[in-house]
Amino acid sequence: MDRAIKLQLSTSEMNYFPDEVIEHIFDFIPSHRDRNSISLVSKSWHKIERSSRHQVFIGNCYAISPERLIRRFPCLRSLTLKGKPHFADFNLVPHEWGGFLHPWIDALSKARVGLEELRLKRMVVSDESLELLSRSFVGFKSLVLVSCDGFTTDGLASIAANCRNLRELDLQENEIDDHRGQWLNCFPDSSTTLVSLNFACLKGETNLSALERLVARSPNLKSLKVNRAVPLDALTRLMSCAPQLVDLGVGCYENEAEPESFEKLMAAIKKCTLLRSLSGFSEVAPICLTAFYPICENLTSLNLSYAAELQGNHLIEFVQFCKRLQLLWILDSIGDRGLEVVASSCKELQELRVFPSDPHDEEDNNTAVTEVGLVAISAGCPKLHSILYFCKQMTNAALITVAKNCPNFIRFRLCILEPNKSDHITSQSLDEGFGAIVQACKGLRRLSVSGLLTDKVFLYIGMYAEQLEMLSIAFAGDTDKGMLYVLNGCKKLRKLEIRDSPFGNAALLADVGKYETMRSLWMSSCEVTLGGCKRLARNAPWLNVEIINENENGRMERNEEDEREKVDRLYLYRTVVGTRKDAPPCVTIL
Amino acid sequence: MENSNSYSPYSSSSVDSTKPSLSVNLSLSLTFPSTSSQRATSQDWPPIKPRLRDTLKSLRLRQRGYNTALFIKVYMEGVPIGRKLDLSTFSGYESLLENLSGMFDTSVICGNRDRKHHVLTYQDKDGDWMMVGDIPWDMFLETVRRLKITRPERC
Repeated sequence: MDRAIKLQLSTSEMNYFPDEVIEHIFDFIPSHRDRNSISLVSKSWHKIERSSRHQVFIGNCYAISPERLIRRFPCLRSLTLKGKPHFADFNLVPHEWGGFLHPWIDALSKARVGLEELRLKRMVVSDESLELLSRSFVGFKSLVLVSCDGFTTDGLASIAANCRNLRELDLQENEIDDHRGQWLNCFPDSSTTLVSLNFACLKGETNLSALERLVARSPNLKSLKVNRAVPLDALTRLMSCAPQLVDLGVGCYENEAEPESFEKLMAAIKKCTLLRSLSGFSEVAPICLTAFYPICENLTSLNLSYAAELQGNHLIEFVQFCKRLQLLWILDSIGDRGLEVVASSCKELQELRVFPSDPHDEEDNNTAVTEVGLVAISAGCPKLHSILYFCKQMTNAALITVAKNCPNFIRFRLCILEPNKSDHITSQSLDEGFGAIVQACKGLRRLSVSGLLTDKVFLYIGMYAEQLEMLSIAFAGDTDKGMLYVLNGCKKLRKLEIRDSPFGNAALLADVGKYETMRSLWMSSCEVTLGGCKRLARNAPWLNVEIINENENGRMERNEEDEREKVDRLYLYRTVVGTRKDAPPCVTIL
Repeated sequence: MENSNSYSPYSSSSVDSTKPSLSVNLSLSLTFPSTSSQRATSQDWPPIKPRLRDTLKSLRLRQRGYNTALFIKVYMEGVPIGRKLDLSTFSGYESLLENLSGMFDTSVICGNRDRKHHVLTYQDKDGDWMMVGDIPWDMFLETVRRLKITRPERC
C-alpha cells in the first residue's frame, strides 16, 4: 500500500529535469492521496501533477463542483464519485436527497474530457445521464455502479449500444427498474471487448440467447455475474463457452436439477480451471452448490451471503474444501460450528463477513453465530484483517481474546442485533472488549461498535485508535463526553456516523475546526438541536450543514421556539463550493 | 405504554420526536412500544442493505407458504387480452405505475382521479375492487390478486 517513492532529491534539484521526466516519475505514484501530497510541494509540481493526473477520487460529490474538477484536472480519464451518506443504505436518507450524476456527465461532456472509467456509489443516475454518457466519450471502457438508483434497463441499453470499447459493466446492489430485459440485445455484434459483466441485481427476465451470444463472442470475458433469471441449463451453456472465467456469479434454480443437466453443469465447471471467485446462489437448491466441488480448492473468494436457502451443513460441507479462500461472505446459518470449520480449513482467510439470516429475531433459532465463532476465527486465521460480524450476543472476554489473537485488524465491524445488549455472561457493558480491540489493533482504520456501551469505550477509542478513519456508532454512550473523546482523540478521523446516541450541542460545537479535517459527520436521533446546528453553520461557512426532516413537505419554520427542537437527522460535510442548489424540500441547508 | 394492533403505515421513516414511538413488525401484525433507546424500526435496523433484506423477506414468505414471484393478471378496460406482471420486481407504487404506463402505452395513475388519465384498481383477497395506492406497498403485495386499469369515470 505504501507505494510512495521517497524522493530524496530536493525539489530545486528535481526542477532541473524537464517536466516530462518529472511527470514520468509521478506516474509511479498511483495513490490519489500521495498525488494530493505531491501537488502541495510547489507550484511547478502542482502544475505538472494536475496536468498528468488521470484518476480522481471524490468521496463526496458535493464537496466540489464538476467545473472546478475539470479545470484542475483536464486530462481526467477515470473518476470515482460518491453521493449519499453511508446510512442511506439502511433507509435513513430520503430517496430524493440528492447525489445526482447528471450535472457531472453534462460538464464532462461539454468539456470534452476523455473519460474512460466511471465508478459511482450511492448516486442517483438517470437513463438520460447514461445515454449522454454513452454518446459523449468515445474511449469509454468501464462503468461501475454500486448502490445507485434512478435508472432502468433502458439506460443500460444505451451503454450497451453506444460504448464501442466497453470492457466493464458492473452493477452492484442497484435499484434498477427492469423493462423486460432486451438491453442485452443492444450490444452490437461487433462488440467483443467485454472483460467484466455483472447484472446480478436485475430483478426481471433476461434474454438468454442474447446473453449466450454475447458471452460467446467475448473471448476476454473474465468476470460474469448473472441474475436470478438465468437457469441451470443456460448457465451450463454459458460456462461451456467461457472456460476462461475467473469470477462467476450464479443465478437461481429453484427446482431440483435433473441428473443429466446436473452432470452437464459439473462437466462445464470442471473445465473452468481459472475460476477463483464465486457468488450469487440466491434461491438455489443445495445440490447446485455441490456442482462446484471440482473447483472449490481453487477459490479465493466466495460470497454466499444471498444463499438464504442453503442450510448450515451444506455450507460447511462446501467451505471445508476451500482451502485457499481469502474472502468469505456468508450467512450466520453456518453457525459457530461452521466457523470453527472455516477456522481450521481456511488458513489464508483475510476478510470475513457474516450476515444475519434472521435480522428481526422472528425464528426460534439457536444455530446462529455467537462469540464462540468469532473467537474461533480469530484463533485459526492468522491473516484475517477485515471482519463484519452480525450476532445476537457477545462478551468482553471473547473480544479481549480476539484482540490478542488478531492484532492486525484494519476493519472491525461488530453488530449485535439487539441495541444496548450487554455482555451476556457478566451483564456489563462491552467497553472493555472494544477497548481491547482498539488498543491491540494499531492499524485499525474502520470500526463499528454495538451492544451496551458507555462513554468509556469512546475514551478508549480516542486514546488508542490513532489510525481510525471511519467510526460508526449506534445506541451507545451516555453524555457529550463520549463524542468529544472521539473528536479530540482520533486525529485521522474522516467519517463519523452516529445514530440514536445521547450526544448533543456541546459535543457538536466544541471544535468546529475539526470538521474541516473530516469528510463528513452524520447524526440521527441524537440530542442536537436546531439552535446548535444553526450556531455551527454560522461559525463554519465552509461546511454544508444539512437538516433532513421527517415529512417531505415541511420546510423548517424559522421561529425561535424551534431552536430547541431536536434535529432528527443532521448531515454535515466540508465543501469548497458552498450550498448546493439541488436539495429537495425535505432538506434544509443552514 | 400503548399496545394495540394499529400500525403506522410509514414505518420506514425514523422517529417523529413529538409522538410516542411505535415500531411495527408488518409480518406479524404486532406493534411493540419503543423507548428512546430503541427507536430502531424494522426498515433501518439492523444495518443490512436492501438486497439482503429483500432476499431474507422473500425466504420468510416462501417458508410460510407465500409465493414470492408475484405474477398477477393485468387488464386494461376495453382490451380483452390481459398481461401478466411480476409485482415482486417493483420497489413500490411509483415503479409499478411507470411500468404499466409503458406496458399499456397510456398514462396510468392512482389516487387522484383525473379525466385525462386511466386509474389503476386492484382486486384484493376478499374479492373487492379497490383503488391502488391507499395502503403501504408491502401490505398491497400481500393482498393484491389482480389489477385493472379503468377509465376514470368508473371510479
